[in-house]
Amino acid sequence: MSLFIALAGFIAGLGAFAGPAMAISLNPDAGSPGIDKSNTLHWILFIVAIIAIVAINLAILRAVRPRTRHVASKDAGQKKGTQLKVGVGLAVIALAIFVTSTVFSDQSRVVPVSTETVADVNADKQLEIIATGQQWIWRYNYPNGAFSYHRLVVPAGVTVELKLVSTDVVHGWNVPSLTGKADAVPGKTNAIYFRADEEGVHNGRSAILSGQGYDTMEARVEVVSPDAYESYIDQLAKDIQAAQDRVEKVELSNITDTSGAALTQDAQDKTVKDAKADDE
Amino acid sequence: MSSYPTTMPPTRPEVSAATPADPRARWAQIATSADHKTIGLVLISTAFGSLFLAALELLLVRIQLAVPENVFLNAVTFDRLLSVYGETAIFLFALPLCIGLFYYVVPLQIGARGTALPRVGQTGLWLFVLGGFVLYASFLYTPPEAGINPLPPLSELTFTKNNGVDVWLASTGMITFGLLLLSIDLLTTLRNLRAPGMAWRRAPIFTWAASIVTWLMVIVAPILLAAITMLFIDRKLDGTFFVGGSGGSPILWQHMSYIFFTAVYMTVAITILAAISEIVQTFTRREVIGRKVVIGSLAAIAVIGTLAWTQNMITAPLPSGWKYFAMLASISLIVPFGLIFYNLIATVSASDFHMRAPLRYAMGALSLASIGLAAEVAQSTIAVGTQLQHTYDAWAATHFALIGFAVFGGLAAVSYWYPKMTGRMLNEERARISFFVMFVGALIALLPLFGAGVDGQVTDSYRYVGGQAMDVLNLIAAVGTFILFVGVIMSVGNLIKSRENEAVALPDPYRGDTLEWLTLSPPVAHNFDVLPDVRGTQPMRDIRDALARRDADTGSTAEAPQPVA
Repeated sequence: MSLFIALAGFIAGLGAFAGPAMAISLNPDAGSPGIDKSNTLHWILFIVAIIAIVAINLAILRAVRPRTRHVASKDAGQKKGTQLKVGVGLAVIALAIFVTSTVFSDQSRVVPVSTETVADVNADKQLEIIATGQQWIWRYNYPNGAFSYHRLVVPAGVTVELKLVSTDVVHGWNVPSLTGKADAVPGKTNAIYFRADEEGVHNGRSAILSGQGYDTMEARVEVVSPDAYESYIDQLAKDIQAAQDRVEKVELSNITDTSGAALTQDAQDKTVKDAKADDE
Repeated sequence: MSSYPTTMPPTRPEVSAATPADPRARWAQIATSADHKTIGLVLISTAFGSLFLAALELLLVRIQLAVPENVFLNAVTFDRLLSVYGETAIFLFALPLCIGLFYYVVPLQIGARGTALPRVGQTGLWLFVLGGFVLYASFLYTPPEAGINPLPPLSELTFTKNNGVDVWLASTGMITFGLLLLSIDLLTTLRNLRAPGMAWRRAPIFTWAASIVTWLMVIVAPILLAAITMLFIDRKLDGTFFVGGSGGSPILWQHMSYIFFTAVYMTVAITILAAISEIVQTFTRREVIGRKVVIGSLAAIAVIGTLAWTQNMITAPLPSGWKYFAMLASISLIVPFGLIFYNLIATVSASDFHMRAPLRYAMGALSLASIGLAAEVAQSTIAVGTQLQHTYDAWAATHFALIGFAVFGGLAAVSYWYPKMTGRMLNEERARISFFVMFVGALIALLPLFGAGVDGQVTDSYRYVGGQAMDVLNLIAAVGTFILFVGVIMSVGNLIKSRENEAVALPDPYRGDTLEWLTLSPPVAHNFDVLPDVRGTQPMRDIRDALARRDADTGSTAEAPQPVA
């Protein structure tokens, strides 16, 4: 009897809790058409799963209901018929889920290595960016040779092919509002595609344990207008060039001018003296 | 006059229920025993001790994640706890529980006097114990810290320099090898030592499950052992098996380890569903509806489920065919799981039943596992799967299925065979209370995590940024985990306490229909004095009927004695 009550309470609780909780958090912000579709599939599967769970648990409840009179056993012929029906029913459910998921999966159909379809469709517009995972930051290489750390800037309305590579361990690139996860594996190239139609900022966290700094490893995608994107990467390339020039200049002066090192040594001695004076 | 000396005992003693007392200490008897009952009991006791440890580690992990930016544990300690939790839950709790149950019960069920290769089984047991000892001894120096499944290259020497990963490799290797030896012993026993008349078509469902699971272990355990050896060579002998770009590939480890981990998932499901079938049969006094369908479905789960291992690698750089195949296989698992659930629930539904602790645990197991399995189906589709993989949604689904099957189903199986194993009945009242505490705890601990996972919380991270919906969900989960932990203590405590001060169990306390109930509780060293002649799927019912007929023929009006071999 108490099992009956507990299970009944559980189903009521499941309905009361899971519904709103999932409604709040079921991918509220779809940043790309692909994620829009996968959200629809998620909703379908979520409802199917809830129906299946409630049906199974209601059946368990009915099975363990308190009995007041003797239950007549079913005869063998009836059993076989029921079983066949259930088997066919389950197979139909499985097939339906498979077909539905295939229909809705075409954003992930392009995840794997074979890329011809997408490449043909977006032949003139596709943008290839290389994302390199390293402990514990992402580096993005743009087509014009510029690169940025942590922050990826992409143009709106253009399909981005993000090539994922890694220099050390396996990292999981994960921006849930734009696309599914994909792993950056050393020695392999993984590819993922997304198209963000509206400007905005999308955040995500790395999804595969990559060492002690794992929790700080974030991915941030900023979707800007195509013009802003062009000027951004141009500016980035110029800044990088300028920085490299500066570094070269400093290195050059270090090699030719030895007084710089001597000065540094003096400064260090002075600091030590000051520290000693403070102690006294 | 015969030359036969009169002082010599008969060459074939038919009744020798009393074994001579062993003068040695109890620990010495256990340590030197090759008896399948002793070995099975050591495995099951270790499993429940590990269940307590795993629940404790899980509780610490959830306390750390209860509030955002918590400073209760630092990153390294969290990673170590998580890695040890994973190995404890899988290799020290779930797997030895399944193999231990088979090892104890199946020789009794098939009417064997022991196992075929007792020394192989004994070696397996002590390898397993040594593996567990190595893992927990590592708390004195460096426990493993590369995650539940230590993926290379993170687990390579370059990125994890301390010997934590070596501990994982050594202990997992010994445990897997030990369980493989036990499986080989059991498989040989099943092939060769079945009682006269015990054809496969008459074998109990649990025996069928033992055959399926031992075959599965014999196939997949060497794969994990090979992977462990290869990673060990990488770390110690400068190998490059799993070093990307040097002729090796990290993906290779993922294939090899996930084949095993997926098979473990299926092993737990098969074992527990078969045990629940036995429980349902006994407490409803009838054969489970669709016995052949249930057995066929168990075999289908083993094959289809294990073939779907790339389900775990849905985000890895793999050709799309692999992922589609895994998706198809995972979705088609609905059919065998659904048929078994249907048949078990229908059997209870269509019968008068006795609600005892084993049946209550079993129904709880089906209820919790239904949530986990339904969520797994939702994740098996590629589009949704790449969204949910490595989040707490996937974590909650796996834990619902495995807590349902391994913890609740494991307690169902152990409380069912408890009178046989210990000679005492289990305390029903304490079992009932602990069941409800655990059930409520599991729901509160895991349901919120579905929301947290969809909200984007990734697993294995020791902290998260506050100000999101996942804050309150994690807090609820921590409270639930505490309730679950209390429930686990109560259940394990009940198993320990009932051994001493409960009613002494008769050989057949539940009027079961399989042969283990013919033996004494606990069985004598050689199990059976007289091997029964099996003529159907319910040999004990046949024996009881034969005794009743004999009494009717002789006109005896006295209470029929319980049949004891």
